Amino acid sequence: MFLLDAAITGRRQVARDMFVIAIEAPAIAASVRAGQFINLGWSNGPLLRRPFSVYRTDGDRIEIVLKAVGGGTAQLLAMNRGDGLSCLGPLGHGFEISAGPKSVVLISGGLGVAPMPLAAREARSVGIRVSWVHGARGADDLCSESEGDEVVWSTDDGSKGFHGTAVAAAPDGDLVLACGPNRMLAAVADRWPDALVAVETYMGCGTGVCLGCAVPLKRGGYDRACKEGPVYRAADVDWASLPSHLPYAVTA
Amino acid sequence: MRVDLSVAVGGVSLRGPVLAASGTFGYGTEVPLLERRALGGMVSKGIFLRPREGTAPPRIAETPSGMLNAIGLQGPGVEALIRDYAPQWAEWDFPVFVNINGETAAEYGELAARLDGVPGVSGLEINISCPNVEQGGLYFGNDPHAASAVTESVRRRTKLPVWVKLTPMVSDLGVIARAVEAAGADAICAINTFVGMSMDLNAYRPRLSFRTGGLSGPAIRPLAVHLAHQVAQAVTIPVVGIGGIARAEDALEFLVAGCSAVQVGTATFVNPRAIAEVHDGIAAFMAAKGIASLSDLPRYLPRD
Repeated sequence: MFLLDAAITGRRQVARDMFVIAIEAPAIAASVRAGQFINLGWSNGPLLRRPFSVYRTDGDRIEIVLKAVGGGTAQLLAMNRGDGLSCLGPLGHGFEISAGPKSVVLISGGLGVAPMPLAAREARSVGIRVSWVHGARGADDLCSESEGDEVVWSTDDGSKGFHGTAVAAAPDGDLVLACGPNRMLAAVADRWPDALVAVETYMGCGTGVCLGCAVPLKRGGYDRACKEGPVYRAADVDWASLPSHLPYAVTA
Repeated sequence: MRVDLSVAVGGVSLRGPVLAASGTFGYGTEVPLLERRALGGMVSKGIFLRPREGTAPPRIAETPSGMLNAIGLQGPGVEALIRDYAPQWAEWDFPVFVNINGETAAEYGELAARLDGVPGVSGLEINISCPNVEQGGLYFGNDPHAASAVTESVRRRTKLPVWVKLTPMVSDLGVIARAVEAAGADAICAINTFVGMSMDLNAYRPRLSFRTGGLSGPAIRPLAVHLAHQVAQAVTIPVVGIGGIARAEDALEFLVAGCSAVQVGTATFVNPRAIAEVHDGIAAFMAAKGIASLSDLPRYLPRD
């Protein structure tokens, strides 16, 4: 785990209201695994850091993908190249991807694209064929950067690709990885109990001490999205008890 | 100029006045980037006799300059703490206090007896101020008789230093402080979180599943400085100041207000180096002011 003062090196738009920010963070770029996240803070920002899956790495840079869902993300998107961030990571346990399976299906809904480019890269590096199914509300909401041996699009309104959910559009594979709204992940759990899914929760510290990011488990009790997670075997999570919608209140 | 930051607080010698607050440091075993040299001591996550699952999510909500939490004292129970963590603490070069919790005064006493003499446990912090449990917790902290009964129950069962952490949710904290002092407390920790609530305007209900939570962070600091000062005026035992400390200047406010030491909590979530920065900043302040030791730091403590 590293704590780096890092500069923003670039920004690009990848869908309606959805942006990728690149950050110079060499030690994290060199060690992060797919599904792990970083916790970002900045001066005059909100009290708590903001957690983001690492989207891609490129040399010394890492990238994150975000929308302005609250005051903190709006501030991040208003920053310029060269502005500084405090970057803590890599955090959490990512997807376990190792040689063996012939094919992997990546399923992402909306901002759930976040961990998938790294997952695709890790899978292909060990010879696994990648199918990526990406779903969103409409064609303009689809992240333009999905990649793989096979890419399947789905939209709720039918404006591009499969008319329906990404889960319904997905083929079967030896390994299924998913990220998106928790209600989507619950649907993944119904169809593929052994899928590996990255959950979303509120986070306090991001390092395992505050117990704020509790994930309810089927066997009872809770563990921590930031430490044991954010990746879980789909059938292990008690989806009915995990909030499916996170209200991002605007804070001063 | 070399300054001496060591301090004796309620039966324990600390190499520095900055401790890690309960609930923000786990059991000290998973803390990232910890700079031990700056740590005066730590207080463990609150423990009960038996394991507790904690509350359903969402457990935290950010608020202006603060956060609400309702973790519900999730923990493995005292036997697991003694088995898994205390042996590690025994190897460390700073004292570890265990934050103890119960639903009855007798349960606090049992915990005290169980922890007495356990290697690695340097003292107890009685939590009579947790707002996030259905029974016990805050109930004991807002009644001087109950606060006194819990403190006595612990005092009778242990030779360990006993600190008592108070809730601010009372009309006169001095009354509670004097009651626990009379019941045998070695020091008072002031204060725990304030009870707060925040509403989710999409769901038309509180953002926390527990409905209410404890407010921490810089938002509560002036309230906490005032209450710590009130306690310091009311008792003769040492006071450990807590509430929204993020920088050395914040800690110094509590020290000037009459505290002997401080605890840093929420700030470590944001800045893993907060404790070291507070410790080093206190030393730099004292050096700049020509103050050689903490006991020479001027205190504002008019007795009326």
